[in-house]
Amino acid sequence: MPRLLPRLRIAVDGLEHIVGGLGTALLALVALAWTVLVLLAVPVGVGLLLVPTVPRVLRAVADRERARLTRWGPPVVGPPPLPEGIRDALRDPAVRCEAGWVGIHGTAGFFLGAIGISLPIYAVEYASFPLWYRALEPEDGGPGFIVWRIDGFADAAVVWLIGALFVAITIWLGPAIARLQALPGRRLLGPPDDVDLALRVAELTLTRAAALDAHAVELRRIERSLHDGTQNRLVAVNVLIGAARRATDRNPAAVADILDRAQEATEQALAELRSVVRGILPPVLDDRGLAGALAGLAGTSAVPCELTVDVPGRCAVSVEATAYFVVAEALTNVAKHSGATSARVIVRREGDRLLLSVVDDGKGGADETGGSGLGGIRQRVAAYDGRFMMSSPTGGPTRMDVELPCGS
Amino acid sequence: MRIVIAEDDALLREGLAMLLRAEGLDVVATTDSPGPFLSAIDQYQPDVAIVDVRMPPTHTDEGIVAAVEARKRQPKLAVLVLSAYVEQAFATDLLAHGSSGLGYMLKERVGRVDEFLTALHRVADGGTAVDPEVVGQLLSRSRPDSPVSRLSARERDVLGLMAEGLGNAAIAEKLFVTDGAVHKHIRSIFAKLGLSPDDRADRRVTAVLHYLNDQRK
Repeated sequence: MPRLLPRLRIAVDGLEHIVGGLGTALLALVALAWTVLVLLAVPVGVGLLLVPTVPRVLRAVADRERARLTRWGPPVVGPPPLPEGIRDALRDPAVRCEAGWVGIHGTAGFFLGAIGISLPIYAVEYASFPLWYRALEPEDGGPGFIVWRIDGFADAAVVWLIGALFVAITIWLGPAIARLQALPGRRLLGPPDDVDLALRVAELTLTRAAALDAHAVELRRIERSLHDGTQNRLVAVNVLIGAARRATDRNPAAVADILDRAQEATEQALAELRSVVRGILPPVLDDRGLAGALAGLAGTSAVPCELTVDVPGRCAVSVEATAYFVVAEALTNVAKHSGATSARVIVRREGDRLLLSVVDDGKGGADETGGSGLGGIRQRVAAYDGRFMMSSPTGGPTRMDVELPCGS
Repeated sequence: MRIVIAEDDALLREGLAMLLRAEGLDVVATTDSPGPFLSAIDQYQPDVAIVDVRMPPTHTDEGIVAAVEARKRQPKLAVLVLSAYVEQAFATDLLAHGSSGLGYMLKERVGRVDEFLTALHRVADGGTAVDPEVVGQLLSRSRPDSPVSRLSARERDVLGLMAEGLGNAAIAEKLFVTDGAVHKHIRSIFAKLGLSPDDRADRRVTAVLHYLNDQRK
C-alpha cells in the first residue's frame, strides 16, 4: 500500500482543483451569457451602451482564474491594465484571449468540472450501496444508472464492484481532468509567447520611477518647510537673544521688548514644527483610518462641517496622509478666510482614484498667491500625480476638487 | 557704515535690522528678494550688503547670483552672504574671483553678536570672512597623504583662522600668542604646503582656500 497514499493525496488535490475550476467555469458561463446578451442587444442600441462592460467583466473573471492557477502551479502573470478607450480594449490581444478562454472554460471547462465532481460522488454512492440497499424496494433499482432489479446482497455486491471501478477512475483520472480543465487558462491567460516580458518590466519600471519621484518631491517639500519655517524662526530667535544680550549692557529698557519678540518667534517655530510633523504622517490615520481621522477634523472644524466618506478598503498610507492634509488645510482656509457658515467635505473612491471635494458657502475670491496654504495643497497633490481644481468666484461659493491615485 | 539687507524671512530681516541699528549702524534698506535688492544697491550705493542665499522665486541660490551681480555693478561693495547651512559650492562660487570684501557665514553666527560684528567690519574694510564650518569641512576632508597632514596641531589652528580671513594680529589674540609667533607659524605652514608667503590677508585667504579645495578627497 505504500504507493497508494501519495496517489490518494494527488487525487484529493485534483478534486479540490476541479471544485475551484468549476467555480470559475460558472463565472465564465455567466460572463459568456452576458457577452452574448450584449452582442445580441447591439442592433437594438442598448447593447452599444453596455459594450464597454464586456472587457471589464471578461478581465474580472479571467483574473480570478489567474489567481486560482497561480495558487496551484506556476504563476500566471496578468496583462497590463485595460486600455482606456473601448475600441482599443476590444482590439487588445489580451482581451481577445480572455474572450476565447471564457468561451472554452464556460462550456467545456464547466462540463469537465461537472464530470470531475460527479465521479467521486458516484464512487461513494455505489461503493456504499451494499450498506443501504435494503432501504430501497428491489424494483427501484440502485443509484444513478442502476435501473435493474436488485435482489439480495449478490446484486448489491455487483453495484459495489461498479463503485470500486469509479473509485479507481476517480483516483487515476481525477488529476488528469483537473489538468485538462486548467489547460485553456494556462495557455490563453498568461502572457503570449511572442510578447517579451520586457514590455511589462519597462512599464513597472516607469510606475516605480514615478513613485520614487513623488517621494523625492515630498521630501523636498518637507525640507523646504523645515528650512523656510522652523529653521528661520530659530535663527531669528538666536539673533534676538544675541541682541538682548548686547542690550543688557547698553540699553536695558529695550531687553524686555526684544525678549518678547524672541518668545513670539519660538512660539511660531513650535507651531510650524507641529504643522510640518502633522503633514508628514498624522498618527491619527494609523489609529482610526482615513474616515475616522477626517471625522476628527470635521468635528473640530471652527465652521460646522458635514462629512461624507465612502472609501471601501484602505489606500496607500502616503495617499491617505495627503488626503488628510488637503482636508485639514482646506478647512483651516474655510475658517480663516471664507466667512462661511457651513462647509461640506465629500471623499469617495472611484476605481483607483480617490476624489475629494470641499465646498463652503462663504464669500469666495480665494487666491492661491495670498499665502492661504492653497499653494501647499497644489504642490502636495502634484507630488502624487493628482489633480487640483479650484473654483472661487467673488461672492462665493468656493469649491475645491482634488483627485489622487490610490496606489493600491 | 551704510547697509542693505536682502532676506526673505520677515522676522529675521527685521531682527537683523534691529540688531544692527542698535549697534549704531545705518541700515538704509531691507528687501525680501533679488529684484528689489539690486534696485536698492543702485539707489543707495551702500558700503555693505547682507544677503540670504535662499530667496524667491526658486529658493536655491538666488542670493549668490544677486551678490555676484551686485558686485559687478559696484566693485567696491562689500558683501556678506548668510546661509542656513554650509554649501561648499556656494562658498566656492562666491570666492571664485578673489575674496576681498566678501564673506560667507552661517546664519546662526549672527547670534554671537561680537563675532558677527567683527566679521562684518572685516568684510566692510575689504577683508574676508569665511565661516569656521566651511574651513573645518575643507580641513577635515583633505586627503590623508596631503601635505596638510604634516602640519602640527598649532599650525592647523593658524591655518584655519587664516582661511577664515583673520589677520595676523587677530590670530595672535585668538590663540593667546605673540604676533611674532604667528608670523613664524605662517612661514612654516607656507613652506610645508609649498605656497609663496603673502602678507596681504585677502590674497592669502584665496590661496589657502584654493589649496584646501584642491586637497579634497
